Parts: sequence; C-alpha cells; structure tokens
Amino acid sequence: MTSHAAAVGDGGQERLERGFEFYNLKLGMWIFLLSEVMFFTSLIGAYIILRFAHPEQFPAPGTVLSIELTAFNTFMLICSSVTMVKAYAAVQHDDQQGLQVWLLATIILGASFVGIQMYEYVYLVREGFVPIANLYTAEGGPLYGSTFYLMTGFHGTHVTIGVLALTGVLLRARTGAFNSQKLGPVEIVGLYWHFVDLVWIVLFTIVYLI
Amino acid sequence: MEVDEKKAHPPYMLIWGVLAVLMLGKVLISMLIGLKWLAVLLLVIVSFTSALLVAFYYMHLRFEPKKLWLLAAVPIPLILIFIFTVMQEFTQR
Amino acid sequence: MSMTATRTDYDLLPYAGEHHEELSFIRKYIFSTDHKTIGKQFLFMSLIFMLLGGIMAMMIRWQLGFPGQPMPGGTLLPETMSPGGIILPEFYASLLTMHGTFMIFFAIMPLLVGVFGNLLIPLQIGAPDMAFPKLNMLSFWLAVPSGLMMLASFFVIGGAAGSGWTAYAPLSADGQYTGVYMGQRLWLLALFILGFSSITGAVNYITTVINMRAPGLTWFRLPLSVWALFITAILALLAMPILAGALIMLFTDHALGTTFFRPAAGGEPLLWQHLFWFFGHPEVYILILPAMGIVSEILANGARKPVFGYKAMVFAICAIAFLGWIVWGHHMFMSGMNPMLGTTFMFSTIVIAVPSAIKVFNWLGTLWKGSIVFHVPFLNAAAFVSLFIIGGLSGVFMASTPVDIVITDTYFIVAHIHYVLFGGSLFGIFAGITYWYPKMFGTMMNELWGKIHFAGTFVTYNLVFFPMHELGLQGMMRRIYDPNNYVYLQHLQPLNTFISVSAFALFAFQMIFMVNFLYSIWFGKKAADNPWRATTLEWSTPSPPPHGNFQQMPTVYRGPHEYSVPGAREDFSPQWESGGAGAPSPTHHATAH
Repeated sequence: MTSHAAAVGDGGQERLERGFEFYNLKLGMWIFLLSEVMFFTSLIGAYIILRFAHPEQFPAPGTVLSIELTAFNTFMLICSSVTMVKAYAAVQHDDQQGLQVWLLATIILGASFVGIQMYEYVYLVREGFVPIANLYTAEGGPLYGSTFYLMTGFHGTHVTIGVLALTGVLLRARTGAFNSQKLGPVEIVGLYWHFVDLVWIVLFTIVYLI
Repeated sequence: MEVDEKKAHPPYMLIWGVLAVLMLGKVLISMLIGLKWLAVLLLVIVSFTSALLVAFYYMHLRFEPKKLWLLAAVPIPLILIFIFTVMQEFTQR
Repeated sequence: MSMTATRTDYDLLPYAGEHHEELSFIRKYIFSTDHKTIGKQFLFMSLIFMLLGGIMAMMIRWQLGFPGQPMPGGTLLPETMSPGGIILPEFYASLLTMHGTFMIFFAIMPLLVGVFGNLLIPLQIGAPDMAFPKLNMLSFWLAVPSGLMMLASFFVIGGAAGSGWTAYAPLSADGQYTGVYMGQRLWLLALFILGFSSITGAVNYITTVINMRAPGLTWFRLPLSVWALFITAILALLAMPILAGALIMLFTDHALGTTFFRPAAGGEPLLWQHLFWFFGHPEVYILILPAMGIVSEILANGARKPVFGYKAMVFAICAIAFLGWIVWGHHMFMSGMNPMLGTTFMFSTIVIAVPSAIKVFNWLGTLWKGSIVFHVPFLNAAAFVSLFIIGGLSGVFMASTPVDIVITDTYFIVAHIHYVLFGGSLFGIFAGITYWYPKMFGTMMNELWGKIHFAGTFVTYNLVFFPMHELGLQGMMRRIYDPNNYVYLQHLQPLNTFISVSAFALFAFQMIFMVNFLYSIWFGKKAADNPWRATTLEWSTPSPPPHGNFQQMPTVYRGPHEYSVPGAREDFSPQWESGGAGAPSPTHHATAH
C-alpha cells in the first residue's frame, strides 16, 4: 500500500469494494479491449460481407496463401501467450528473474511473428498479391488482396504495439518495479497480449482456412 | 480461498497443449474435409472454443467476478446483429 | 495473496484535503490533468469550432437566400472559394460537408461528452478526479489537432472534402469524382484521430463511474446526467471503432487504390453505408442522451420536484441505447437495400418512439404541479422538451418507409436533424452551460441577457427550421447549391430568403450568448456554493471546486433529485446531508406526489 492509499486509510479500500473489485487500470484495459473488439468487427465484418457478395474473388484456401507457414506463425503466437502467463505467474510469486526471462521470451516470439509476417508479405507481393486493385495479378480478385492486407496489417500493428509495450514493461521490471503487491502493468499488458492472440486465432481461421 | 488457489495455478501448460492441438485440427479440417459447409461449421466451432480458452484461462476471465463476464459479452450481440443483417443484404441478390 | 495484490490500488487519487501540490502554469492550464480544467478546455475548443460551423451555416444560408449574389465579406476569401464574393458550387459542397462535420464531431459531441462528461462525472459521483487523468489529457490533446487538421483542409489544393458529412462512397472513395484529393484524406485522418480521442475519453468515463463512486452512491442514486453520460460513453466506446475501421478502408481506397467501396474494381459502396450508419445511429444517441440527462436534472431543479419516474428514465435511456444499435438501416431506405431489411428496420425504428415517449411524459410529469422557478437553465431545458417532441415526431414520419420514399434527402430531413440536434442537443447544452457555469467559473452568467438570448434563439430558431419542413414537402432536396435551377422550386425562393434572414438573426442572438459567457467569467456576480439550491454532490463543494474536488470523501445518504421532500426543512434535500426523512428511494417520491 503506497502513501496515497495509506493517506485515505480505509476509505481507499472501501472505494474499491463498491466498484468492480479490481483496480482502475485493469477495468480500463478490459473496457478498452471491448472497443478493440468492435474495431476488428468492422474489419472482419467487411471481409465476411465482401466475400459473400463476391465469392468469385476469393479462391480456395491454400491456393494463394501458405497455410503451413502461417500455421507455424500461429503456433508461435500461442507460445508467446503461454510465456506471457508464465511471466505473470512469476511476478505473482515475486520471482524477479522468472518475470524478466518470460517477458523476454514473449517479446522474442512476438517480434518473430511480425518478422515472419513481413517475410510473407514480401513473398506475396512478388506473386502479384497486393492490396492495390489495378496492380493485382494473383488468383482471385482485388477484394481478396485489399481485405487480406487490411486485417492482417492491423493485427500486425497491434502485435508490434504489444511488443513495444512489453519491452517497456521489461525495462521497468529490470529496475525491480514489480512485485506480487504491485503488478498492474504486467497484468494489463498480458490482457492486451492475449487479446491480440485471440484475434489472431479468429483471423487465421477465417482468412487462411475458410 | 478456493478461488485464490485456482487463480494461482490455472492449468497454463495444459491449455497451451489444447490450443496447439486445436490449431492443428483446424488446419487438418481445412485441408481434408471437402464439404464446404461442414468444414466452415467445424472451423467456426473450433476457433470459437480456442478463443474462449484464451479468454477464460489466459485472460483469467474464469476467475473474475461475473459482472466482468457481462461486460465482456456486451459486443457479442452487436457483432452478430451487424454481420447477419448485412449478410442478408449481400446474399439475397 | 494475489487477491490482496489486485485489491491494493496504487494509483488512488487524493482528495483536496489530503494532498497539496503547486503546479506550474503549463501543468495547471495547458497540459492539465484536472478534469475540471480539461472540461473547460473542451468547452472553449468546441465553442470556437461551433462558431466556425455557424459561420459556415451563414454562408450556406446566404447562397440559398440570395443565390448568385456577392456575399458580404466574401471577397476576403480566396479566389478558389468565392471569386468576387460569389460562392462557387465546389466551395458550397465543402461548406455543407464541413458545417455538418464541425457541428457534429467538433461542437455538439465534445460539448456534451467532453465538457459535461469531464466536468460532471467526478463531481457528481464524489470522486477526486477521473480514473486516468493523463489519458483524459491525451483525449483533449488529440481532439485539438484533429479539429485543426479538419480546418486546415480548407486551405489545401482542391479545398476541403465535399462529399457530405456522411462521405458516401464512391463519391468519397475516389478523388477524380470530386476533384478533392488532399481535403478528403485530411477529413478521414482527422476523424480517425477524433475517434481515438473519443475512445480514450469513453474508457475513462466508464471506469470512473463503475469504480469511483462515493460511499452510499448506489447505481440507482446516480444523478440522471451521470446515467446518461455513462450509457453514452458505452455507445461511444463501441461505435467509434466501427467508424475508425470504415474510415481506414475509405482512406486506403482513396489514397492507395484498394477496392472496398469502389464498384469499378468489385467493391461495395453499400457496405460503406452499412458501416457508417452502424456507427452513425448510435452516434445520433451519443448526441442526444447526455442532453436528455442534463435536461431531466435541470427540469427537476426548476420545478422543485423530484424527477418523475426516475427508474423509468434510467431504463428508457438503456432501451434507447440498445435500440439505437438495431435501427441503422432507416438511414438507407432509398439506397437500394434489401426491401425485407427495410421493413425490419422500419419496425425497430418506430419502437424507439416508446422509450422516447416515456422520457417526454416523465419530463411533463416532473413539471406537473411544480412551483416552477423560471431560471435561464430551466427555460432552455423546457425548450429542449418542446423542440425534441417536434423533432421526434418528424422522425416517426421518416421511419415509415412509404412516407420516407417521398421525403428522403429533402429539406424535411434537414428540418428533422436540426430539430433534434439544435432544438434538442444545443438547447440542452445551453441549459447545461448556464446551469453549471457557476461551478465551472465561480461566477454567475447575467440572468437578463440569458433570458434575452433564450427568447431570441427560441423564436428565430423556429422561424429558421420550421419552414424547412414545408420546403422538403415541396420537394427541395438537401445539399442543393441553387434550387432556382429547377422550375418547380423557383416559387420557394421567398421562403428561402425568409429562412436565411431568420438564420442571420439566430446567429446574431448567439453573439449575445458569447459576450455574456466571456464577460461573466471576469465580471460576473460571484457565485455561491449552491446557487440553484440543488441536491447533487457537485454543489457541496466551493465554486469553483479546488484540485481534488472535495475536502474528503463525501458520503451519500439519499437519491439524486430530492426536491420538496415532505417534512424536510427546505424544498431541497442534498445527497450529502444525512438525517431528515432518512434516505427514501426516488420512486417513493414519485408516487408520494
């Protein structure tokens, strides 16, 4: 309990109990994630609807996009989620070294995900699979390219932001800023990270597999 | 206190294994099942399950107050309303 | 162990009596994290943008009232806008677009959500500040550059966006249709940034209301303004990201050549309309719900009676907010949408009339047999109710598809939107600003000039917008540059000239408000802590409240609008005072009267 909380005495505790039984930062992150859900709804919804309207522009799975490469990438993101919860479990037990190691592992896995996605983009662009309508030469139609880059691009942006946020948390963790009594930033960056993972599980299915 | 114990040790590694298996299952469904509607149905079910596992265990929703479940569920009806309504528009012409 | 960890909040904010910190000028007035200062910053920002939007409206009215004649002062504008003072058609389209954009996104929305959300939520729930003061500051400092970006688009090559505030694709999706390249992209980017600002604001409001209410302030003791702002914040949280996604798609269509909305390469223009209105209809309620909450509170204060049917009011707000998500198609009846959907949307839209009518009847019930104090906020709030009824009823006309086929995209729509947005929201805002002015600045606005402003605005407002219903029924289309190009509209020119002259008078009356507002900040009468003899928590603090708002955490003993409680010493029983008739629930009171 820090000086502020101490200064308000019991009042501080009481203020929390009337609310959601957890601190503002965490509630705020959950609420922010709801708006993220709606953001991805607009992107994914547009994709679903355009695909229903123009099925001829969307070839069968596996013809343009590589399922194997992305399945590997998906596996890495799932692994990064488990390293993230391990980091959180470590800080819950005041395990400073564990916190740093698992955070670093998460950062490496997340950054590799972005790297592989970049590699995939370069490969696809060479194949003529581009977002720009009048340059599109791959199988299917330009709607495929437009929607693909929109969804995966914004997901990739979210992963990148997540990696940067995790790096920030790691730098603070190295100064010993977190412990079992004070782990808010670790928990909320974890929430964000798992949400990004969750979105990818959905995206992988509807973009690559269906 | 029982809740506390669970929160301290949710089955993280088990969930990880299940998620990996589900993902492999999705790839196999997509490659092997020729019936389009069946494949789509199975894929939707499997990825919904994976998403729920992540939310419930990795995001600890399972151990949070039910009020938060309610909050987290708010966008779901809106998503369904939007997508199904607009699909009507583009499938029936 | 972990449980205590999550319970210990290390960013609890101190109340005024607990903590003292001297801030530099910049931290205190510019990059402030104090919710009251941010609210005031939003107030000044949106009043300036509203003035700009008003000037644009005057130019539009000049062109419609006196088509093809040189506009006074028009020669000051560049040749590309109005050579020789005569407004060009392209410039007219930009003016229309930017008038709508500025008024909706940079005036009404920040006024209702930014100003009152920031000012009222912490004060009325007894919190020292917002849950995330720095995020709050970010929200304001994203809104400012976004507004400036929007304004700057007037001065780039090709001028500002001219595809209407709804930016329907494909007109907005390809620069070669309008000749506007940079302007349209700036429009899209500016709105995207504003959306981010709204989302950060909404996260803050929702967290604050859920987690930071004072002891005793249960959900059904929240003032109606907080309820309305809370529900509005949820709407903004969920609707703005939809707009953000749609804006990105339109932006890439416009700037990169993707093909979401461009039919030439297989895109779907109708998808833009669906996405836009799926955001846009909740947005409509973002623009009216806070005004409804504010008005409920001020009506009760003026009538010296509790709000009639408090719980019904709360449920009506929730019902409107939910129904707002399933009616977006009523903006698209004439878009070539699936007719079956049209019927569905017609029914769901007409259903909205039910909770709206509940609110109207409850407002009338609040006034019924009250001993009314006709102060300026009350007058504006009463005007809100009467004008909202007209606006709401014209909405039912348009909701019914057979009627809408005739009046769609005519001045009937223009009349309707101005009845709900100007007659509704803006009168609510006038009521709110005059009511909470003493709490914001510590001085009172001039009562007489306030009444003159109210009377003048009310009369000229109706002279401007009521005849527009007739214009619409005669077939005059909205967004038209010069109706005289059509023979069948030529006989409407005298009416258009009359509307324009009334609009100039309406604008002139707003100058009274502006002068009164600015003058009173420095020279107004010093305000007491509770000048309106009101009951909610913000009136228990000094005017203006110190940093941290309350000396210590207040305790709440009763419902929010307890006026004329039988047996009480005074005709108002503040939420922070214990004793008396205990803490009866608001519904008790409604039945007792």
